[in-house]
Amino acid sequence: MNIAAPNTYLAGFRLRSITGIWYRHALVLRRNLLTSLSWYFVEPFVILMAIGIGVGTLVDSVDGVPYAKFVTPGVIIGSAMFHAIFECAWGGFMRIQKGVYETTLTAPVSTREIAMGDLAWSMTRAVLTAVCIGTVAALFGWIDNVSGVGVLLAAALVGMQFGALGLIFAALSPNVHILSLTFTVVASPLYFFSGAFFPISVMPDWVEPLAWAAPLTPSVHLARGFVTGDLGMSHLYSALYVVALTAVLFPIAASLLRRRLVK
Amino acid sequence: MKGQSDGPVIRATGISKQFGETVAVDGVSFEVSRGETYGLLGPNGAGKTTTMRMVSGLSPLTAGELTVAGIDVSRQAREVRNILGVVTQEDGLDTDLDAKSNLTTYGFIAGLSRKEAEKRADAVLMFFDLTDKADGEIDYLSGGMKRRLAIARAFMTNPQVIVLDEPTTGLDPQGRNRVWQELDTMKQAGVTILMSTHYMDEATALCDRLAIMHHGKILAEGAPDEVVNRHAGPEVAQVRVSNGVRQDVVGWIEGAGFDYREAGAIITVTSRNGERPDLSGLEGVRVSYRSSNLEDVFLAMAGRKLTDE
Ligand SMILES: Nc1ncnc2c1ncn2[C@@H]1O[C@H](COP(=O)(O)OP(=O)(O)OP(=O)(O)O)[C@@H](O)[C@H]1O
Ligand SMILES: [Mg+2]
Repeated sequence: MNIAAPNTYLAGFRLRSITGIWYRHALVLRRNLLTSLSWYFVEPFVILMAIGIGVGTLVDSVDGVPYAKFVTPGVIIGSAMFHAIFECAWGGFMRIQKGVYETTLTAPVSTREIAMGDLAWSMTRAVLTAVCIGTVAALFGWIDNVSGVGVLLAAALVGMQFGALGLIFAALSPNVHILSLTFTVVASPLYFFSGAFFPISVMPDWVEPLAWAAPLTPSVHLARGFVTGDLGMSHLYSALYVVALTAVLFPIAASLLRRRLVK
Repeated sequence: MKGQSDGPVIRATGISKQFGETVAVDGVSFEVSRGETYGLLGPNGAGKTTTMRMVSGLSPLTAGELTVAGIDVSRQAREVRNILGVVTQEDGLDTDLDAKSNLTTYGFIAGLSRKEAEKRADAVLMFFDLTDKADGEIDYLSGGMKRRLAIARAFMTNPQVIVLDEPTTGLDPQGRNRVWQELDTMKQAGVTILMSTHYMDEATALCDRLAIMHHGKILAEGAPDEVVNRHAGPEVAQVRVSNGVRQDVVGWIEGAGFDYREAGAIITVTSRNGERPDLSGLEGVRVSYRSSNLEDVFLAMAGRKLTDE
């Protein structure tokens, strides 16, 4: 008979499907460790230096916070978002095209579990990049609070949230040209209007509510709260907003993936 | 234990699949017994892949009943995939991983422990003669190696039932021969195989029974020689013609009511009455006879139902 172990389930998810897919992604990272480092480390590091130090000499402080310290949580959250979107939108699309998901489905795996496994990994990626940049920022003294560790939580939430969004784009895009809109039309604008580089309050009054509702803004706010150590109810609401968005996006992602893969 | 019951391993009863307006599979019934190799043949678009995807629990049925090892595919697709090894028409290899990792990650996802997956991958690589490619990039493997790796992957969990969609398409004769030998070894070990192929010699060499599909229906079913005998007769005639007489010869054959196929200078003629076609009335050309094969069945059917759009 088949030599596979019996399946264990949690809330309807077969656990091995999720850990197995996570393991696959981890192996890919290990195989490409050096090139991946540039992704996790070099690029956000360059942004942090250029903006934190470069722009920081022009801009003294924002709301009483030194500019480098102001921008650090924004860069961390932005990087977390790009990692999650890249993994799930680009990577997910490639796995659809190359039949990798199809192969995975020939094992006793469901499309929901594929989506969950990918989300687990995009969360991991987001946390990894947050650890890399956060360490550098801490060395420069731009993160000097114990509560700064909380940016990892914020990054984890972003990883799940944009992992789900990324999978939605992967499942919907008929080709790479449309897929690339995820980066140009979605990710980049979100990044620059998330309050990462300047406070939302400097924008015209009518834009402000829009900026706050945009999916990345609450996470930047949350991360900044952890970094400055100045946490309030607004940070709790931000976290809940992100969790709620993810809870809505995940089932959409899973069912779109199913529509794309199971015919 | 479930799946060890007597009776057919695969039992399809009137299964259908519709994609929008397209009826890909149209009320097909067949059974595959334990240890048997069952082949699906038919032109492009006949419905072979769709049938196999339904059997594999990858594509929900529009209608009909389908059990694998006694498990209802419509209700427990996951359980079915737990039992089966599946090789899809595309290799579906993961180009971000090396050859061996393709096997180990699949095995791990399918439920093996990491250690078992390692051990099993080594054994399977050895069996498919891919050991020296274990660390190789997928993109650098030849088409034949990729195909064999995809087949090897399906054997990671040591399944007793395997579904193979066109195992040797795109391989050179040597590569095909090799896959045949490997599949034959699996057969000897008692593995039940459902496979599709476009190659008549492959079907003849591997399949205990086969079905010829067209437009989503099974037109003929049985052991290869049985199907050949029933639908093309024991022997076919081959007429070698030069261009000058071609038209006259074709006219004569049509007039006599035989089915024929032209390929280069050879016209192959089958009769519809189960006997060898009598061409003694045809003068001035060389006629030879040979035993019929599955190719001739297609020819014979083309004269009737297999007419392509
Ligand atoms: N996902 C799909 N959506 C719409 N139509 C489909 C889909 N999959 C298959 N079909 C149609 O169903 C029919 C049967 O296709 P199928 O792939 O089963 O044929 P096949 O016998 O495997 O052919 P081939 O020898 O080319 O592999 C074809 O008309 C095909 O266009
Ligand atoms: Mg096919």
